[in-house]
Amino acid sequence: MRRVAVGLFWLFLLSACGGGGGGGGQAGGTPQKGGTATIALESELRTLDPLDSSLLVEREVFYNMYDSLFTIDPSLKIKAGLVKSWDISDPQNYKFTLQDGVKFHDGTPFNGASVKANIERFKTAANSRRKSDLASVKSVEVTDDTHVIFHLAKPDATLLATLVDRAGMMLSMDAVAKGGQNFSLAPTGAGSGPFEFVEWKRNDHLTLKKNPSYWKSGVPYLDGVTYRAIPDVNAILSALKTGDIDIARVIGSKDVASIKADSNFVYRDTPAIGFNGFELNTGAPPFNDAAKRKAVATAVDRYAILKNIQFNIGVVGYGPIPPSSWAFDASEKIYDHADAAKAKSIATGFSFTYKTTSDPVAQQLAQLLQSELAAAGITMKIQSEEFATLVQECEAHQFEACGVNWSGRIDPDGNTYAWWHTGGSFNDSQYSNSQVDAWLEDARVNSDQAKRRQDYQNAQKQIVADAPYVFTFFGVSPQISNTKIHAFTLYPDLMIRMAEVWKG
Amino acid sequence: MTTYVLRRLMLMLPVAFLVTIGVFMLIHLSPGDPALILLGEDRTPQAIAQIHEQLGLDKPLYVQYFIWLGRIAHGDWGRSVTTHEPVAQAITERLPATLELGIVALVWSLLVAIPLGTIAAVRRGSLTDQVATGITVAGVSIPNFFIGIVLIFVLSVTLRLFPFGGYVPLTTDPWESLRHVLLPAIALGTAGAAINMRFTRSSMIEVLNHDYIRTARAKGASWRRVVFVHALKNALIPVVTIVGLQIGGIIEGAVVTETVFTWPGVGRLAVESIFNRDYTVIQGIVLLAAFSYMVANLLVDLVYGWLDPRISYA
Repeated sequence: MRRVAVGLFWLFLLSACGGGGGGGGQAGGTPQKGGTATIALESELRTLDPLDSSLLVEREVFYNMYDSLFTIDPSLKIKAGLVKSWDISDPQNYKFTLQDGVKFHDGTPFNGASVKANIERFKTAANSRRKSDLASVKSVEVTDDTHVIFHLAKPDATLLATLVDRAGMMLSMDAVAKGGQNFSLAPTGAGSGPFEFVEWKRNDHLTLKKNPSYWKSGVPYLDGVTYRAIPDVNAILSALKTGDIDIARVIGSKDVASIKADSNFVYRDTPAIGFNGFELNTGAPPFNDAAKRKAVATAVDRYAILKNIQFNIGVVGYGPIPPSSWAFDASEKIYDHADAAKAKSIATGFSFTYKTTSDPVAQQLAQLLQSELAAAGITMKIQSEEFATLVQECEAHQFEACGVNWSGRIDPDGNTYAWWHTGGSFNDSQYSNSQVDAWLEDARVNSDQAKRRQDYQNAQKQIVADAPYVFTFFGVSPQISNTKIHAFTLYPDLMIRMAEVWKG
Repeated sequence: MTTYVLRRLMLMLPVAFLVTIGVFMLIHLSPGDPALILLGEDRTPQAIAQIHEQLGLDKPLYVQYFIWLGRIAHGDWGRSVTTHEPVAQAITERLPATLELGIVALVWSLLVAIPLGTIAAVRRGSLTDQVATGITVAGVSIPNFFIGIVLIFVLSVTLRLFPFGGYVPLTTDPWESLRHVLLPAIALGTAGAAINMRFTRSSMIEVLNHDYIRTARAKGASWRRVVFVHALKNALIPVVTIVGLQIGGIIEGAVVTETVFTWPGVGRLAVESIFNRDYTVIQGIVLLAAFSYMVANLLVDLVYGWLDPRISYA
């Protein structure tokens, strides 16, 4: 029954979903107004303030309550949000033109001053988790109500993508002040998004109602959205079948086939942006020996994992950059099919311990890996730990191999820098390669996307070859709903955006 | 009587103190860093250090304990590490749901246990007795989460007779509230029903052998009157003890059931807080659970006096 879900853990849950189909909107008649949709959240939220949020389920709610400066389309392309148009020709002074006439739910206007106040709040508040997101922003200058300039301390090619997410979500400062210490529990009137906050009964439900004066005309169609925290994938499936929820994002991958076959439900998916696999500690034996890392990466059968653990839902992963990204390199297949004989020729006869959670799917995966590696003469011992313990030990580099996944970021920087730049905050593997560092640094500051793509492809090739992390598969971002739900658009970032969804 | 109650209440304090030390040590010495759980995919060394400082985790353990104890003594239960919600508020918000579930489960267990236990005792050795004993063994042996899953599958998913999980407050809609609480209450109360039935049966058998029962029968009282008026009240004394402990254990008993049925009670809060290493909330819940046990024990002792006038606490 244990179901903890911080962002990292999401991927264990994600491994319970699957992939296959394409993205894009789902047509289906004339949109009907009215009705409410109930969505299952696979874990309880902790905060409704983007300032101190760290969970994927929180972001999912935020996207329907708050507007960001920028948005994305289903192909991850950056689109206008509260910023109507932008000029980033000067790499250290980004000029943004804002939407005119937007009001927050509490009736206060959104303008240049709101942008400045929000960014400053994110950058300075003691409990802000957005500081590193906005590290490159030196200051925000308000030219007038609809124009601001972001002055950057150094060029930052990832900033627009960052401003799609929580660091770019704009809140009414009046509402923040009124909410005081309890703002994160009841952000009444704070957003400008398609739905307004009504109430949050923790461990039970969170209710949003339609924003009748939403600045995008014609939407939303629904009168409201209710979220229910159901911390178990089997329970989510039951709730979907009983009609207690309309939409789920996660169900066990073993159950996907039955949902697909049932005419009462809709299942579609698109590859997600997070990677799955396991870390190898390059700072300690046995994996301080690159040959042993490569032997493991060569012996792992990614297709068998996808088939047996994922029930073929998802796609085989070769590196950290997902297929939906503009930086994806289709030719990157250093370790494709498992080759036990080749693995043996690189290194064999050693043993190591693989740390993972006691989640049943994680356990099945561990046992499969164990048998695959045994074929190459490599002994893998499995050590199961509670999630909080696993994260702490891996972060402290107290592991040989550790099953940790990543939910993914829109910009490839978010899938690489923190993980494999020397000293990166997720570089549990203690990987260090000066050439990789240089590529990742250049990609961060270079505004030329072609050059950035080359940087990421070079870095990825090197990281995959050095194998501080063994990539196995990419999960999916699915629509799992009953047939009353229409116009559900699949986004690879796993977010369920409800503005255009209707029920009929 | 009043002196007795006061003395018992005073004795609770040192016990609660020892409980808090035990719990504090247990949760702080177990591995897992709340900062890493809090930050999730947003962790940076700076943010981790900042959270350690904010939560006082950079101080020695005994200092952390006394800071917490000092706050509790002033009635400040602190704020949740994960949600910043005041701990007292987090618990009191969820307490009605847990109490409703616990009370309905208890009522269910007694409605099943007392009649069945009595019948089994009166017809000792008969087929009815054997069936009742069989049910008891099954009730105690089958874990409540399994009963819960079966109930959900059969009555909720397949037959659609009951909603799946969730909670409707009694004050909002009593009928819906009952519909929502019934399945979790049956899952939670079945083990208790089995135990209570066992106690009722054995105690009733013993009471029915007493002289006064024979006297009552000899005086011409009907068997029904003898059993339900003369015997039952006395037979219930050991049952009261065990029921008292069950009342005290409502919070921890509901942990698994609340999770299975997504019931927004204190038990689920406890589970979530443990996985999130939300130290302040865990401590608050354990303190409450310890007190509820102690108060339940006290109430049991007082009820003894009512059931059996020979017991006096003067």
